[in-house]
Amino acid sequence: MSICVLLLVTLPVNLQTQLIAGATVLFIMMVLKTLNAGGIWRLIALAFGTAIVMRYVYWRTTSTLPPINQLENFIPGFLLYLAEMYSVMMLALSLFVVAMPLPHRPERPTPKGKLPSVDIFIPTYNEDIELLANTMAAAKAMDYPSDRMTVWILDDGGTVQKRNAEKIVEAHTAEKRFSDLTALCEALDVRYLTREKNAHAKAGNLNNGLEHSSGELIAVFDADHAPARDFLLETVGYFDEDEKLFLVQTPHFFLNPDPLERNLRTFEQMPSENEMFYGIIQRGLDKWNAAFFCGSAAVLRREALNVTGGFSGISITEDCETAIALHSRGWNSVYLDKPLIAGLQPATFASFIGQRSRWAQGMMQILRFRFPLFNGGLSLPQRLCYLSSTLFWLFPFPRAIFLVAPLFYLFFGLEIFTASGGEFLAYTLIYMIVNLMMQNYLYGAFRWPWISELYEYVQTIHLLPAVISVMLNPRKPTFKVTAKDERIDRSRLSELAAPFFVIFFVLLVGVGVTVYRIYSEPYKADVTLVVGAWNLLNLIFAGCALGVVSERGDKRPSRRVKVSRRCEFRIGEKWVPGTIDDVSVNGIRIQLLGNLTDELSVEMASDVRFKTAATGEMGDLPIQVRNVRKQAGETAVGCLFKPDDPSDHRLIADLIFANSSQWTKFQLDRRGNPGLIRGTIWFFGVAMFQTYRGFAYLVRQITGRNKAEWERT
Amino acid sequence: MGTHVMKRLLATCFMTMLATMPLHAQVSPFDMSPERPAKEPAPQQEQPAAPLSPPKIAPAPPVTGKRFVIPQDSLSFSGETGEKTWAVFITEEQAASSATLSLTYQNSLIVAPEWSTLTLAINNARIINEPVQSSENAKTLTVDIPGGVLKAGLNVFKMSTSLRHRTDCDVQSTYELWTEVDPSRTFLTFAGDAAQKFRKIDDIRAIGVDAQGRTTFNLVVPAIDRIAATAPMLHLAEALAVLANMPNQAVTISPALPKEQLPGALTILLGTDEDFQGLPTALLASTPGAPAAAFVDDPATGGSVLRVRGPDWQTVTTAVASIVDPLKREIGVPRSFLSTQTWRSPNVPLFTAASRARFSELGVATRNFNGRRLRTEFAIGVPSDFYANEYGTATVLIDAAYSEDVLPGSQLNIYVNDNIAATLPITTKGGAILRHFPISFTMRHFRPGANLITMEAVLNTRSDTVCAPGTGSTSPTRFALFDTSEFIMPRFARIGIMPNLAGLSGTSFPYGRSDKPLPLIINNGGEKSYSAAATLLARMSVAAGRPLEIDPRATANSTVNKNALIVGAIPQIESTVLTQTGIAESIRAVWSDVRDVEPAADAGPGQDEFDLWRERLAGRGWRGQLAFFDEWLNRTFNISLTSFSFYPGADEPYAPEPAASLLMAQRANPAGDGVWTLVTAPTDDSLIESVTAMTQQDRWSKLDGHISIYKSGTDEIQEVPVGEFTFVPTQPISFANMRLIVANWLSGNILSFSLLLIIVSTLLGIATSRLLSNLGRRV
Repeated sequence: MSICVLLLVTLPVNLQTQLIAGATVLFIMMVLKTLNAGGIWRLIALAFGTAIVMRYVYWRTTSTLPPINQLENFIPGFLLYLAEMYSVMMLALSLFVVAMPLPHRPERPTPKGKLPSVDIFIPTYNEDIELLANTMAAAKAMDYPSDRMTVWILDDGGTVQKRNAEKIVEAHTAEKRFSDLTALCEALDVRYLTREKNAHAKAGNLNNGLEHSSGELIAVFDADHAPARDFLLETVGYFDEDEKLFLVQTPHFFLNPDPLERNLRTFEQMPSENEMFYGIIQRGLDKWNAAFFCGSAAVLRREALNVTGGFSGISITEDCETAIALHSRGWNSVYLDKPLIAGLQPATFASFIGQRSRWAQGMMQILRFRFPLFNGGLSLPQRLCYLSSTLFWLFPFPRAIFLVAPLFYLFFGLEIFTASGGEFLAYTLIYMIVNLMMQNYLYGAFRWPWISELYEYVQTIHLLPAVISVMLNPRKPTFKVTAKDERIDRSRLSELAAPFFVIFFVLLVGVGVTVYRIYSEPYKADVTLVVGAWNLLNLIFAGCALGVVSERGDKRPSRRVKVSRRCEFRIGEKWVPGTIDDVSVNGIRIQLLGNLTDELSVEMASDVRFKTAATGEMGDLPIQVRNVRKQAGETAVGCLFKPDDPSDHRLIADLIFANSSQWTKFQLDRRGNPGLIRGTIWFFGVAMFQTYRGFAYLVRQITGRNKAEWERT
Repeated sequence: MGTHVMKRLLATCFMTMLATMPLHAQVSPFDMSPERPAKEPAPQQEQPAAPLSPPKIAPAPPVTGKRFVIPQDSLSFSGETGEKTWAVFITEEQAASSATLSLTYQNSLIVAPEWSTLTLAINNARIINEPVQSSENAKTLTVDIPGGVLKAGLNVFKMSTSLRHRTDCDVQSTYELWTEVDPSRTFLTFAGDAAQKFRKIDDIRAIGVDAQGRTTFNLVVPAIDRIAATAPMLHLAEALAVLANMPNQAVTISPALPKEQLPGALTILLGTDEDFQGLPTALLASTPGAPAAAFVDDPATGGSVLRVRGPDWQTVTTAVASIVDPLKREIGVPRSFLSTQTWRSPNVPLFTAASRARFSELGVATRNFNGRRLRTEFAIGVPSDFYANEYGTATVLIDAAYSEDVLPGSQLNIYVNDNIAATLPITTKGGAILRHFPISFTMRHFRPGANLITMEAVLNTRSDTVCAPGTGSTSPTRFALFDTSEFIMPRFARIGIMPNLAGLSGTSFPYGRSDKPLPLIINNGGEKSYSAAATLLARMSVAAGRPLEIDPRATANSTVNKNALIVGAIPQIESTVLTQTGIAESIRAVWSDVRDVEPAADAGPGQDEFDLWRERLAGRGWRGQLAFFDEWLNRTFNISLTSFSFYPGADEPYAPEPAASLLMAQRANPAGDGVWTLVTAPTDDSLIESVTAMTQQDRWSKLDGHISIYKSGTDEIQEVPVGEFTFVPTQPISFANMRLIVANWLSGNILSFSLLLIIVSTLLGIATSRLLSNLGRRV
């Protein structure tokens, strides 16, 4: 069958036939999409798309490359060709991965007999102790026999090496962290563990934990990833079902927006970036037994880790590397598509880029040292899956090429893509629409149109040098911990913003040149129009990116989670009944019965009392009133947590992290496929506004208006 | 013809003329000029704006020894550059005698004489290099050809013009430039009697042309009605045509001797000794031991007559075979070129597979050009089973350079058979060198046989926008085309289709490659039918490159499972033949009573009228919108709504308009394993007249489709395109060829491709879904 397709798509039929066939296929795909046909129709629609893409590849390869004797055209032309072929290859790989993702696992397996003993590792380096306290409290609160689980803080910020650092300030900080954490751990009944040296970064830290513990299973949580109460019960059962299972991975759910979501204000309405990965790609990988370890929110089997001598540490992405090592030894993995932890992600653009640089560099190292395609232990589908995951991080190259390619023509008159206007319509345009439709078909509910391109573009500028440097010096990059708890208290341009403005201006000049060329060189206006449109598209991305690097000041750095819990609120000596409405990492909002505005004042210290989900006991949590608002028959009080005892963190964690189903609900609320056309219109609207906002920030940054005025934007 | 030049010429060959003068006073009964259409269309694409003045005079009294050299009835060079190269065969005797060349031309008023030249070179020796300066009247140049220039055998004549405008410098002005050479007053004259005589059979190739560029073989067959005579006379006609290989050949077969010997004509006597009883004794003289086929001198004309005789028809047939046999070529042996040099030199290479040819091999020389519009052409031959019109693209790897004077907006165009096939705009300033720069162009307009590829450079320059006086030809070279450029023929699909008159025109497909004699049906015979059949077979033999074996005893019934060529006026055509070739029976009524009506006067509402109505109603209502959309599709992508049918539909029986004077139709035979070709006309007279016209080079190359009709009144050729057809495999089955055949077929059947893509994709989707359900994990 595939040979038939191959024969058909490589027929050198004429342009007219291609145009009609392309339009017909496009139409059918649209109909299938409009009908929202799933199941077998989804694959048929994808097969249609594949046929068109393959025709494009055939045509692109056979008839559009500039002649090789014109090196000035051929070299950039060939680079562009490679970039396009990379995109097609990635499309093919992702088609393979997500052609038929595993459906949700319906029921959690009930562990047979005795529950396995679990060591819970919380590796930390420099995270805030407050943050750690919540995570530790949430971990401790997990619904699991306490004699079967041990929580470990693996502290790399308080190692002997750090405490004896040459720089006195550093040494002092480490010493203080060591003593504070030790005390906190004691209070929360958590094992504190540190080591001599900071060797092998996170992997070394985890391996140190392995050495000092003995549980059958290991659960790993990042310092800012707090588990829900049912985390262990949802996951450990799978290890009973399959003796060769080494990993159960769960999604990372974030309570705060990433910089793009925050600055574009899309967090509440659009699925997050990582939802595409956890919502569909990991499910697709899971189909091929290739779901991999993502560093946190996962349970691993000690017996398996012992086979490879613990966590692998050649690359700076020890998680994926460990998974490859175990997969290639015949161990299996499972992905559980249910958010069971909630965490924080980088808030500022700079730390976001820092995190992505680490991923990209780590994946490049894996590509270099453990090339998945030739890894004999992996099955063929696993190799393709890992190839897809690692090669993805080469995207800065094609992105950069797509960005500058039109400029070659506009500025230097180089013809790097030889095709007429008609051919462009019949092949390229149809291919592009089909490509977008396929993406939408695959990821529609998880990724809106053009958002992938925007994410890739904003990362490209800084990831490209990072990827190139790791290619030149594969062993050089070192593990850098991503800061996730920063706050942007005032609106400003990101420190990484400058190149985005430069690129925007260059592209803008390109638009000017386009207009000039159309009028001054009417004989090639068709080509100029096509290239100009391409450049314009780039300009729209670049404009939108200006908004991404314009950091919005945010009073509420973390998202509020809706809850509904009875509580009592202390006013003076009196306890007033109320309901906790929503919770964030920093505070809560409470609805109190009756008009109590007179009795409440801002800055007032108080307590809230409620029954914990973990133990069913009542607990008192110190708070401070931040605002009071009168509503019909009720009073809404906004409060900040004021924990003064480590045990208070248990109460906070209980409020936020006790119930994982609320996170699922939140995610589902954001999901929804706006469709290609509506999504495109929406995106262009956002891009226009963000361009404006980027310039507004630039102007203010330059003119240096006073901060108060800043705040208001 | 009263110019002093002509007088001098007349004086030069006075002696020769004197002897033949009385004969020339009579009007030849075989001269068909009065019946010919009054005006032939010039083969050139660009007609000069003004007609020649004075208009062509009636043919001058023929002068023996005149050897007209231009193998066409008019020769016009238009634009800034013009070139024609062809070869003229000269006998040893002619080469040995001293020769004079006369050339008559006239040019348009706006040609600037000081910058314009007309050049004639023979075998690369420049004979004429004249400023073009005769806009008032035709001017005749007469030059003696230096001894040794003309050689026995083929001599390459290369005539070229370089014309510049008196005042204007823009590209548009170049279309006003023309120079016309008058073929009826352009000829060689040889001194001495020997030059008029032919000695060897090969000298037939020196038959030459008449004042209108035509060549005529007058077969004298006293026993024309004897069955034994039919095959030898037709065979001989074919052989003579293949041997002479002139572009516009006609054969007449008559029992009587022609009254006179005209230039470009040869008399051939064919028969037994008994048949020749009544002929002049001079023609009957026999030398003992002389071959049965040989030239004899004709004292009445001073020329020679080819005599093929024998004691009986058996011997005569053998004598004919002695001429035919050397021209035979094995069926399986492909030609590497089409023999065209008597009208286009060099011979056209025949591309039967992927290959490439340098411009130098194609006869295109390196050109340095300082004008506005450079045109240069070459020809490419493709076989009759060429099946790549719908999808194919050929490539020219151009080596060229243009100076900094050339402005963007200039362009290089490629035309195939005068249809635009590709445009390469020049988009950079400051000059450039193109090294093997590829220009791909569609092969849509390729047809079997020779195809004319025209390369045109249209140059807008800075200096032309200024247009300083006197910069005409002194301006520096601004464009160069190098002969190292290459033409690249890709691998193309090869399969014959039936019917396809274009194949017949190109290489006599499918008859040319059949190893069986071609059954020929001439029901009633007679001078005119035989002449028409002989002329047609001669043309087909030239196209095939070999004399075709024929079987003149065939009947419609005996050929139901064979190929057949049916020639005759409509009354002689059997109804079964009409039905089988897709012609309506009503053709008999249409053609029965309109013979004396003014041609084309009552053409009835034809396509033109329909178009007129459509134009009037364009844009009205949704039909108008649809028509507008159709037009847009057609203009932009060459798609018409008719391309959207899955099946071409059965061809309706066709009846021509009354104005049609010849109809050629082709279809499969009743058994479906051979091709019948019908050639018919209303009457015997119009049959011979129109076949003669239709077999001339420029018209023959327009033969196409399932049916072609020729209207002598308006000199128009119309075709009924091929609808239903069957494939005729010509190549051993191979994957690569099948793939390309499918590509071409699908390119012509757009919806079929879409449908196939949909079906295959759907199946792929289903198969993938099945596969995925069984592979990997399931929950």
